[in-house]
Amino acid sequence: MSTTLESAGPAKGAAPNGNGGRRRLPGWLVGVLWAVVALGVLATASYLTGVTELTSSTTAQNGLRLALPILLAALGGLWAERAGVINIGLEGMMILGTWGAAWGAYYGGPWAGLLAAAVFGALGGLLHAVATVTFGVNHIVSGVAINLLGLGIAKYLAKLVFEPLSGNPRQSPPVEKFDTYSATWLADWLGDLENAQRVVLSDVAGLLRGLVTGVSPLAMLALLLVPISYVALWRTRFGLRLRSCGENPTAAESLGVRVYLHKYLALLISGGFAGMGGAALVLLPGGADYLEDQTGGRGYIGLAAMIFGNWRPGGLLGGAALFGYADGLQLSAGGSAILALLYGAVLLLGVIVVVQLVRRRWIAAAVGAGSALLLYYVYWSVDELSSDLTPYTAHAVTLVVLAAAAQRLRPPKSIGSTYQRGVDG
Amino acid sequence: MRRSRGAFASRLAAISFVGVLALAGCAKDTGDGGDNASGGGQGQPCELADPPAAPQGSESNTEENDGGDVDASDLKVGLAFDVGGRGDASFNDAAAAGVDRAEEELGVADSKETTAAATESEDAKMSRLRQMATDGFNPVIAVGFAYAESVKKVAPQFPDTQFAIVDESLDGDNVTSLVFAEEQGSFLAGVAAAYKSENCHVGFVGGVNTPLIQKFEAGFIQGAKAAAPDIEIERDYLTPAGDLSGFNDPNKGNVKAAGQLNSGADVLFHAAGASGKGVFQAAKSKDALAIGVDSDQYKDKTLADTKDVIMTSMIKEVDVAVFDFIKAMAADDLDSLPERFDLAVNGVGYSTSGGKVDDITEQLDGYKQAIIEGDIKVSDKPE
Repeated sequence: MSTTLESAGPAKGAAPNGNGGRRRLPGWLVGVLWAVVALGVLATASYLTGVTELTSSTTAQNGLRLALPILLAALGGLWAERAGVINIGLEGMMILGTWGAAWGAYYGGPWAGLLAAAVFGALGGLLHAVATVTFGVNHIVSGVAINLLGLGIAKYLAKLVFEPLSGNPRQSPPVEKFDTYSATWLADWLGDLENAQRVVLSDVAGLLRGLVTGVSPLAMLALLLVPISYVALWRTRFGLRLRSCGENPTAAESLGVRVYLHKYLALLISGGFAGMGGAALVLLPGGADYLEDQTGGRGYIGLAAMIFGNWRPGGLLGGAALFGYADGLQLSAGGSAILALLYGAVLLLGVIVVVQLVRRRWIAAAVGAGSALLLYYVYWSVDELSSDLTPYTAHAVTLVVLAAAAQRLRPPKSIGSTYQRGVDG
Repeated sequence: MRRSRGAFASRLAAISFVGVLALAGCAKDTGDGGDNASGGGQGQPCELADPPAAPQGSESNTEENDGGDVDASDLKVGLAFDVGGRGDASFNDAAAAGVDRAEEELGVADSKETTAAATESEDAKMSRLRQMATDGFNPVIAVGFAYAESVKKVAPQFPDTQFAIVDESLDGDNVTSLVFAEEQGSFLAGVAAAYKSENCHVGFVGGVNTPLIQKFEAGFIQGAKAAAPDIEIERDYLTPAGDLSGFNDPNKGNVKAAGQLNSGADVLFHAAGASGKGVFQAAKSKDALAIGVDSDQYKDKTLADTKDVIMTSMIKEVDVAVFDFIKAMAADDLDSLPERFDLAVNGVGYSTSGGKVDDITEQLDGYKQAIIEGDIKVSDKPE
């Protein structure tokens, strides 16, 4: 994601000296800029279309909740792939996590559930490590196997453990969920502001309010894991070594890095995070307890969010947030809100066109203008988006925005390759 | 990056101080909920239409037809479940219960169960049916409308095997359709919802937007409107036709239901399979009521934590239909089966566990009688 962020920079007046010699913006500033642009677009769209759900606190709250499993899965993917191992088995590790979460929570409360979920997920990661690192199995093959195996093991264990308790081999008995916390004074103040219906201010207040009401410890933990992952991977010696295993394991080994060890650790952490992603489906208030097949492909979506996020923590947070937001909006407000979002997309494209014009990129600007016109035509001609399409809003939005935003992806260099110690790669 | 340790420490201290201040305001949410814009309060109960007269001294014609003298020991029953399989606490389970009962009471020799996966092809379904027919299972019972195409194709290839399909109406010499009048049962659910709503505002959450689930929606809306013409109704589906994940995603059901509750609805009816769990949890967190589907969900152990919001369930007696089918098959008398399991033959109905509808059973039975006698016609298409 960070790549285009730079391109958005000049329009903001960050680089006065033309096309050449642009100063590179620091990553956090780029993130903030994007957030501001997104907010501006949403606020304008919400004001002009009168669809307040675009920036309501309910939407934000739902979005956060729906984004959590994806965010955690994506973080899991980040750790594995930074160490050079493709982890398509995230889905299977999530499934193991859902079972572990329900099992742990039934006997020891939500924290025990979360721990059990992480442990079960990590076991899946360990298996992936044994197969891909020690035995040099193709990463995709091993990942697919883990997806099948995870489902099978969870089914078996559920029948074994949960059926006597719930009379139902596909579901666990109800388990204790996480409590939620709200920053009451902040939420009240923001609530007043949101209801005041002032342009932009109310929108920001609405979104923020959704993020500070009814927040579970798991959500806080997941959000904290993003900067923690960043610091661990990019600001510590351990992280540098781990990433070097994903870039050039032979060189890393020759410099004394224990490649196998780091890959094992990376996959354990990866599986643990994916398992926690499973727990996010089970242990949040309103969650499902254990239910067979409930992950519904979220592991893959997490992997996609991570790839579109350019193998960076900030990028994958953006991807997960976008997906969660679009899904939450679609579920709580339906077709008319999606149409308003479409209008927002037109605005966003407008901004991009202006940027491209300033940078004298005529073709890009023309393409942008063309798509904006097309979208606007759709927006204008349709009264309400067909209910057959709305459920896939999240997929479409994420795909389009991230594909546009992240055109220059850079995966770790030796990702997916098998590294055998002593064999020249 | 080199800064004096002291400056770093004081910054750290400042940050943690701010953190503590922020934490001080982060109160834990109490369970009673309903504090944020749940729409409660400003609404008022519906003005209710006069219910049809309740049947006088209605003898329940639910004479359980027990196994009796029918012997099914030469039958091998093959059961092909839809997504979810045994344990979905819904119609798959009910079908399984029907077979279990047939095994107990009629002495069915053998039975085999197979379950569809969420994203499998038509071929997989067909080969599942073919496999069972080849293995000598007769009858083969396909549970769920998802098998319609497969049964249509496979049944002619095995003329000596009797097929049955639940929830879908198919022609064919060796195909029995076990279909229900869901709209009639849902009509009663709609009536009950209208009577129990305090805001005169109810909601319907469908799992997948298929003709079958639309029957639930249609009945519910007609029932609610019959009882309270001015009632407001929310209606949503989780996924469109073809994407069966809507039956298996409680998190989405929860968000959708919370959305309906936020717009002011206070009684929700779900026809969303396992996603219904999320609907019940949303209702519980907002102190609203919900209506279950297919089986008496109040008694479902996996819903034990939310059973106090389940005021009634729209019951579909899939187990009775499956049992009756096996029995008729054993007795070689398939023509005795009703064309449609409706209110008149108690193929659909409502549950009373929990006692939340005890005060309105008279009205409900009045509507029920009116439907049975044909005074009220319930359409199976939402208008």
